[in-house]
Amino acid sequence: MLELSLFFILALFTLGGSITMVVSFQPLFSAFGFLIAMLGLAGLFALLNNQFLALAQIMVSVGAVVILSMLTIMTVNAQVQNLPKEPHKFIWLILSSFLVAPITVLIYTQLNTLPATLKGAETITAKVIGNALFTDWVFPFEIVSILLLTAMVGAIVIGRKHLLDTKACS
Amino acid sequence: MSTAAILIAVVSFVLAALLALLTIPVLVWLERRIASLIQDRLGPNRTNIFGFRLGGVVQSFADVVKLLLKEEYYPSHIKMGRWLFMLAPVITFSAALLAFMVIPFADTLVIEGEALRLQALPVSFGILWYLAIGAIGVLGVIFGGWLSHNKYALLGAARAGSMVISYELPLGLSVITFVMTYNTLDFNAMVQYQSGTFLGFLPAWGIIVQPLAGIILIISLFAETNRNPFTVAEGESEIVAGYMTEHTAMKFAMYFMGEYVAMNTASAVIITMLFGGYQLPYLSTETLTTHFTTFALAIMIVLPIFLTLFIRWMRKNNSVRKSVSSDGGRAFETKVLTVALITFGLVVEMLLLYLAFFAEEPLANALTIALFQLLVFVVKLMAFNIFFIIIRWTVPRFRYDQVQRLGWHYLLPLSLLNILVTALIIVGVGS
Repeated sequence: MLELSLFFILALFTLGGSITMVVSFQPLFSAFGFLIAMLGLAGLFALLNNQFLALAQIMVSVGAVVILSMLTIMTVNAQVQNLPKEPHKFIWLILSSFLVAPITVLIYTQLNTLPATLKGAETITAKVIGNALFTDWVFPFEIVSILLLTAMVGAIVIGRKHLLDTKACS
Repeated sequence: MSTAAILIAVVSFVLAALLALLTIPVLVWLERRIASLIQDRLGPNRTNIFGFRLGGVVQSFADVVKLLLKEEYYPSHIKMGRWLFMLAPVITFSAALLAFMVIPFADTLVIEGEALRLQALPVSFGILWYLAIGAIGVLGVIFGGWLSHNKYALLGAARAGSMVISYELPLGLSVITFVMTYNTLDFNAMVQYQSGTFLGFLPAWGIIVQPLAGIILIISLFAETNRNPFTVAEGESEIVAGYMTEHTAMKFAMYFMGEYVAMNTASAVIITMLFGGYQLPYLSTETLTTHFTTFALAIMIVLPIFLTLFIRWMRKNNSVRKSVSSDGGRAFETKVLTVALITFGLVVEMLLLYLAFFAEEPLANALTIALFQLLVFVVKLMAFNIFFIIIRWTVPRFRYDQVQRLGWHYLLPLSLLNILVTALIIVGVGS
C-alpha cells in the first residue's frame, strides 16, 4: 500500500514536471519542471530498489543537464513577448504525440525485458552495470559516444563560424 | 527489523541532523572569532543569557532571533514566480543538509548478529549520493539569482553555475581515482580501507596514498561550496552580494546557513575520504575491541589532563581587567562550567573503570568505541572547518577568469593524468 501510494506520488511528480516543462512560457519554469520530472524519475528508480540508477539519474540529469540548460537560459534571456507565435500549439502537441506513439511502442517492446547479464544479478550495483556496458553493450555505448562527439563538433563549428563572421566584419 | 535496529536508525538520524544543524551557530561563531583573531581583535564575546557567554556562541542565537524578526520584503519588480523566488534558498539549504546524511560517524555496530550502520541514510553509494544531491544545491542559487531580475544577481547566478560546471569535472575525476584506489563507492568501506597501513608504517589515509587527487579534491570542494578563494558568485567588490542581493531576512538566512551546512558537509567528505574519517591512525575498530582495557585506561589518563588544562585556560581567560568593577557574571559562569566539567570527567572515569575491569559486556564496549569514534569525527570535522575558515581570512580572492583557468587548464588535465597513472599501477600490481 505504501509502495503503491509512493509510486502514485512519484508518477504525479514526473508527469506534472514533464507537462510543466512543455507547457510553460517562461524557460525558467520549464527548467524547474524538468528538474521535478527528473527527481520523480529518480524516485521511481529508487522505488524499484535500484539506488545506483536513481543516483546516476540525478547526477546526470540534474547535475549536468539542468544546470547547463539553466546557463543557456540565462545567457539567451528569452522574454515571453519575443517568443514565436504558436496559435495551435496544443493541437500540434497532441497530434505529434499520436505520431510518435508507434516508436514508443517499438521502444517498449524492445526494452521491457532486461538483458541476461542484468537479470542474473540480485541487486544491480555499479560493478554489474560497468561490466554490462563494457562487454555486451560496448557497441551501442561507443555509438552513443560518437554521436555525442559529432554533436559537440557540430556545436563548435556553428559557434566558430559566428566568431569568424564577426572578426571579418570588424 | 529488531528494536535495536530501529533505535540505532533513529539515533543516527538525530545525530546527523544535530551535527549538521547545531554546527551552524558554532561555525558562524568560529568564523567571526577566528577572523577577529587573525585581524588582531576579539570578536563577539559580550552577548549572554544570565551571564553565560560560552565564549560568544550565544551571539549566533541572538543573530537567529534578529533574522527571524526582520521584515519580509519582496522586491516589487518580481512579477511572476514569487513562489520559486522564495523556494530557491530552501532548495540550496535542504540539498546541503541532505548531502550530509550519508556520512558515517562511527563504525558499523553489530548487535545480535545484525550489522547496523551509524549513518543517517544507509546508502551504500555514499559518494554518488554526495555528488548527486550536492549538484542540486547550485540550482537554488541559479533560480534565486535569475528570478531576482537584477543584473548583479543574474551575474552571480551565472558565475555560480559556470563555476560548478568547471569544478564538477575535476571533482568527479578525483573521486574516480579514489573509487579505483579503495575499490568501493561506500563511505564506510572507504574509512575501513584507511585504517590499514601504507608502505608498512604510514597510515593508509587518502591524502598519503593519493596526494595529488587529494589536493584536487580539496580545491574542487572549496569551489563547490563557494568559499574563499572562490567567492566569485557573491564578490562584494564587483557584484554586491551576487545571487542573494534581493533576498532579505529569513530568505537570506537560508542561503547563509546553506553555505555553512555545505562547508560542514564538504569537510565531512574530505575527512571521510582523505583523513581516515572517524578513525585515528593505527587504531582500527578491531584493535580497539581486542585491547579495550588498554584503550579505556588511555582515555582515563588523557581525559583528566585535558580537562585540567582546559579549566585552567578558561579560568585565566574568562575574566575582566581589575579596573572594571562589574564582571557581568563571568566568575559565576566559570564556576558553573568548572563544576560541570569536573562532574562530567568523574562520570566518564567511573563508567570507563566499570567497563574496563568489572563488566564483561561486548555490546557496552562496542557502544563506548562508537562514542569515541563519534568524538574523533567531530574533532576532525571541526579542525577541517577551522581550516576552511583560516583559508577564507588569509588567502585573497581569485578573479573570475583565474578561477576558470585554474579549473580547466590545471586541475582537469592533472586529474585525468592521475586517473591514468592510478589505473596503470592498479593493473600492474594486480597482474
